[in-house]
Amino acid sequence: MRNLYTAMILASLMGLVATAQADTKGKAIYEKACASCHNTGIANAPKLNDSADWAPRLRKGGMDGLYHSALEGTPMGMPRKGGFLDLPDADVKAAVDYMVGKLPAKVVSVASAPSAKPAQAAPVAATQAAPAPQAAAKPAAPTVNSFNRLMKPAGARNAPPAEDGIHDPENDGTLALQHPQQAYTGLPKSNAGNRVNWVASLNEKKITPRWDRVDPAAEAVVMDLDIVREVKGTMPDVLYPHKAHTEILDCSNCHPALFEPQKGANKLSMAAIMMGQQCGVCHGKVAFPISECRNCHSQKKAAPTKVADKP
Amino acid sequence: MGGWLAWLVLLASLALPGQPALAEYGDVVLNRRSEKEGMRPVIFSHWFHRIRFQCKVCHQELGFKMRVGSNDVRMADIINGKFCGMCHNGDVAWGPDRCDLCHSGKRGLPTGIYGGHETSGPGRW
Ligand code: HEC
Ligand code: HEC
Ligand code: HEC
Repeated sequence: MRNLYTAMILASLMGLVATAQADTKGKAIYEKACASCHNTGIANAPKLNDSADWAPRLRKGGMDGLYHSALEGTPMGMPRKGGFLDLPDADVKAAVDYMVGKLPAKVVSVASAPSAKPAQAAPVAATQAAPAPQAAAKPAAPTVNSFNRLMKPAGARNAPPAEDGIHDPENDGTLALQHPQQAYTGLPKSNAGNRVNWVASLNEKKITPRWDRVDPAAEAVVMDLDIVREVKGTMPDVLYPHKAHTEILDCSNCHPALFEPQKGANKLSMAAIMMGQQCGVCHGKVAFPISECRNCHSQKKAAPTKVADKP
Repeated sequence: MGGWLAWLVLLASLALPGQPALAEYGDVVLNRRSEKEGMRPVIFSHWFHRIRFQCKVCHQELGFKMRVGSNDVRMADIINGKFCGMCHNGDVAWGPDRCDLCHSGKRGLPTGIYGGHETSGPGRW
């Protein structure tokens, strides 16, 4: 009997020590990676110690949901692993455990996870809570990136037509339309626009758009002439490749309405481009957007002469 | 006068709900007439078509001006083989009888380019 008691006490003590250790580790990681937002609730991050912030999230996905959001990031603005991509998954989870551990037990119990051991109880919580949140999760999915207000949330890129906000999901035809992600499989990626690198797709012959409406064999008359424009200030100079443009467009698309076909005859400005003129007629609407500065500003400037070098 | 217009455009762009920003980059809504005539607005996707045709085919051969809303497209023209009907004629692509594939937009959407475009009048920049 005695032995059993000691064993039990020992076991529970060890358990305590273990959780305490996990706690200090979680705390350390929290301080390092999470505190800057979660202390004060920057960008609507759930605040440490704030039950009202955490309760709905726990109810929705349980501990698994929280782990997932912490590891993968969320469209609301939570970066993957809080932006510390080299943290091991276990450490990120420890930080989540630490944050949840700070909440009063009754908040945590909505996800039916005892506060001391949230990690173990998580699967139960998730399965128990499953039916309700799954139904609730869809409409609740954020449609705006609350951190970068005007940018697409990561989860909503290349949405299927029925969910893209412009197609009417009640319309039968909408369901027959292609899902962009299906069309983009295997195409080189980019960071903006359709998130497809169309120029590379064409160069690598991943897509073979027709040059003529009916004749699949017709080919473009390509002009391979690069125009380099020196740029004031510190931005790298701009290289305009005729090749990439004449492969897909006709000369008359740009000359002479947008640009005089004569070197130096056009006054180009970034302001005009942003207002949808000049390059901005296409770039920022259909062709890759102007957030991709370096695609155009690609020519390193000649190194400036140092004062000391001058005679 | 111009100032007023700019403000109106600015307000309109701010008032746009977050939703349409989810549209695929380069999607065009055409609604000069459709809704007035009881049809849903038309949605044209650049991403879908540019996989199949170079820009030049539509913007030079078929004469679509590169300014959304500047082409007065009539259903009668399409059926007679102009604009979209140059291809959607049952020959190059399915024909004009498949109304709901083109007229698939949410009611109330104004003509314009969607998908988080970044250049155009005041608003975004
Ligand atoms: C240069 C030829 C061409 C022109 C012009 C053209 N289309 Fe298409 N379109 C096609 C082809 C080819 C397909 C693919 C047909 C198929 O997959 O069977 C297509 C498919 C579509 C689809 C279905 C997309 C999907 O997800 O399956 C829609 C909608 C559409 N076009 C709308 C339009 C509208 C609106 C216009 C006019 C503003 C237009 N198209 C002009 C060639 C054209
Ligand atoms: C299948 C036909 C088709 C193809 C291919 C096509 N476009 Fe378009 N484009 C259209 C139509 C239709 C419109 C809308 C015109 C209107 O509203 O009157 C349009 C509009 C535009 C606009 C105007 C946007 C604005 O804000 O006013 C630009 C820019 C544009 N296209 C660029 C391109 C580029 C670049 C390519 C090639 C990568 C391309 N298009 C390929 C049919 C096409
Ligand atoms: C290939 C795509 C396409 C198909 C298929 C199509 N439409 Fe249209 N339709 C258009 C475009 C583009 C417009 C001009 C949009 C605008 O500016 O409102 C239009 C305009 C209209 C209008 C506005 C008035 C007018 O005469 O221009 C009506 C009504 C209309 N369509 C009816 C239909 C009906 C009914 C069908 C099926 C039999 C149909 N459309 C099929 C693309 C299409």
